[in-house]
Amino acid sequence: MQPDTTPEAGTIRPEAMLSVRGLKKVYQTDGGDIEAVRNLTFDLRAGELACLVGPSGSGKTTLLKCISGLMAPTEGEVLLDGKRVSGPPKKMAVVFQEYGRSLFPWMRVRDNVALPLKNQGVPKAERDRLVDEALEAVGLSHVPRSYPWQLSGGMQQRVAIARAIAYQPEVLLMDEPFAAVDAQTRADLEDLIRTIWKKFGVTVLFVTHDIDESVYLGERVIILSSSPTVVQEDIRIDLPVERDQLETRSLPRFTELRHHVYEQIQLAKKGHRPAAAEPAQAGSAAKPA
Amino acid sequence: MKALKTLGYVLALPVLLVLLWWASTLGAVNFFVPTPAALVQKFAQTWFGPRFFSDVLPSIGRLLVGVVAAIAIGVVGGVVIGSVRWLRALLEPTLEFFRAIPPPVLVPVLMLLMGITDSMKIAVIISGCVWPVLLNTIEGVRAVDGVLSDSAHTYGISGWARVRYLVLPSASPQILAGVRQSLSLGLILMVISEMFASSSGLGFTIVQFQRSFAIPEMWSGIVVLGLLGVTMSFIFQWAERNILRWYHGQKEVENAA
Amino acid sequence: MSADALATGGRTTRAGRGRRTGKRAFPGQRLLGLAGILGFLATWELIPRLGLIDAKYLPPASEVVMALVRDLGLTAFWVSVGETMKAWFLGLVLAIVLAVVLGFVIGSSTFLRRATNSTVEFLRPIPSVALIPLAVLLFGVKLESSLMLITYAAFWQVLIQVLYGVADVDMVANNTAKTYGLGPLARIRYVVFPTALPYLMTGVRLAATVALVLAITAELVIGSPGLGREIALAQSGGAISGMYALVLATGLIGVVINALMRLIEKKTLSWHSSVRSEVIL
Repeated sequence: MQPDTTPEAGTIRPEAMLSVRGLKKVYQTDGGDIEAVRNLTFDLRAGELACLVGPSGSGKTTLLKCISGLMAPTEGEVLLDGKRVSGPPKKMAVVFQEYGRSLFPWMRVRDNVALPLKNQGVPKAERDRLVDEALEAVGLSHVPRSYPWQLSGGMQQRVAIARAIAYQPEVLLMDEPFAAVDAQTRADLEDLIRTIWKKFGVTVLFVTHDIDESVYLGERVIILSSSPTVVQEDIRIDLPVERDQLETRSLPRFTELRHHVYEQIQLAKKGHRPAAAEPAQAGSAAKPA
Repeated sequence: MKALKTLGYVLALPVLLVLLWWASTLGAVNFFVPTPAALVQKFAQTWFGPRFFSDVLPSIGRLLVGVVAAIAIGVVGGVVIGSVRWLRALLEPTLEFFRAIPPPVLVPVLMLLMGITDSMKIAVIISGCVWPVLLNTIEGVRAVDGVLSDSAHTYGISGWARVRYLVLPSASPQILAGVRQSLSLGLILMVISEMFASSSGLGFTIVQFQRSFAIPEMWSGIVVLGLLGVTMSFIFQWAERNILRWYHGQKEVENAA
Repeated sequence: MSADALATGGRTTRAGRGRRTGKRAFPGQRLLGLAGILGFLATWELIPRLGLIDAKYLPPASEVVMALVRDLGLTAFWVSVGETMKAWFLGLVLAIVLAVVLGFVIGSSTFLRRATNSTVEFLRPIPSVALIPLAVLLFGVKLESSLMLITYAAFWQVLIQVLYGVADVDMVANNTAKTYGLGPLARIRYVVFPTALPYLMTGVRLAATVALVLAITAELVIGSPGLGREIALAQSGGAISGMYALVLATGLIGVVINALMRLIEKKTLSWHSSVRSEVIL
């Protein structure tokens, strides 16, 4: 399968689709500055499916906002296909956790999916094809005339995913997309993401706080430390490509990986910081807020 | 059967009230209150004739022009002011003051500035009706959901497309609440501007009837204004139901949960 | 009918969340607001001074403000303000009492609610100014004329809100209260009234504004004593600065009434968990 090396922090790889380099984000508030993200560096190769997992409050959402160009980092940069991200890039789509608030309630499902394409001036025939394909892929071909709020939470999130893939992004960012749906739906949606990833060959960065989910979904799991955030560990998930909710989760290797990630997160919560991050951190730690 | 019951609920009280009115006029002739029959007769006589074209239609025309202009100004201004934070901070206190001025006092002011003309009457309607729409639009634009806004942003929806697909629909419940207030205010201002300074129009005619003690005619004029108000209200409700179908549906789902 | 639900804050969830980010004051916000007012006054000052509009018709702001300050020292001015406020207050109170009594009676019976619905929907949109000739005929140039118009206009505002409020109860807590064995009176006291109170307060706030509009209208058109009549007199008498000063005064009264009503609403509802979203009237 993949070579068994984890991408080294800081090295620029020519084939990197998404690179986050020395990212730092400090919020200025009335009560003084808050350092949410200290120093994050990692690369995603084209077509990779990586999960980003960390303890709650580890700046996952901040990181995602910086990557998606919604927020400017205080230091460092994000490169998409070698180009610096300064605003929401065309080649990227984001799926948010709050499905109820990310779809336009005044538009029907089909119009929601089609809007970004329409806005880009994609011709009608092409647009229809892409929308049909996307709705088909998420299993929602039967509800194009419904309004999003008429659907269940899981189905709404499917619409959001359909909208993202119809946009034909090269990178798909997902911000805890299944945190607010019930367990059964969640399992289905996880499998859906794997299917879509294989079908469309898109690079996926999946943010979650769920350890099981990260191991089950990812080809790679990036573990974040607690805030101020650095990369705690970056591990390859050497599970078979074909995954199955029952079989994969009962593999001994799955349990091992799950264990490992769990330990790392516990360590992160206790404030343990990886030795590897310290040298890079020393530079910025010299001027704390 | 069910439809019959509904009809009963709709009609019973109005019929009862008309009967009461009729019964109360049976005895001695009351100077102030005409009988229902007399009123209906006067109503037809008074308003279905040349007066319809000389007084009723021009009044309605001015009302429409004024209200439509006020809505247009209010929505455009509201979107601009609501989208620019410093502009909103700069203008909001002043606008709040303008909204607090009771609109009828604008009649003498505009009369002074513009003379007694049709454009003055339209200006009165505009300058009274614009505030509810303007301030509600500002409020609605400001309250656009953050996640929705981020979503639109990541898909490259900006500028006019953002206004068209995100800002206006999102603010439409508030905008329409403002429009509703504007409509009833517009009707009031139309009447006042004609009562205060005019030689034609609905308001003027009705006051003339009152001054010449043409009581049934006066009542029939009140009925015309009432019908106008009710018609406008029904048209608005119909339009609102259609425009905000999504909003009411969503609310229903949320309340049921 | 649905738009009224808006005014009572059906929109708490979506708008509420958006508002938190929007409402956050930023440094200098108040100063900017003040600058806006000063800018407006300066523009007003300049328009007649530059001759864009004849000062005969639009005197400069400074002149009008001076006239207002002069007014503030005159007993006659305060008598007029008193007349206006008296009509406003009496009309408003009358409307509230009538609307609350009728609203609770109609609202608590499904039969009455259904039977009155068409009549309410028909009478409500009738513009209260349509009653001006009738009021003049019945009462002439007196306080009663103003009261009739004010009460009619304000009544519907309150009634509709009370009806919504009482209807809101049906669905929520009444059954719970029944299962706990609360009688009808106790239910009104502990369930119906607290639920309807926020709606009532919204209605009162809207009614207060409408009542002021109608008070001024009555004085302006009918000529019952008060600020409105003074404005009409000043205009026809050519005391233009005086007229503008009085217009400013009515605006200030409007601002004070708004602020007062919001304060009362806040105080009455401070215990209420769902702080209702505001849709501006």
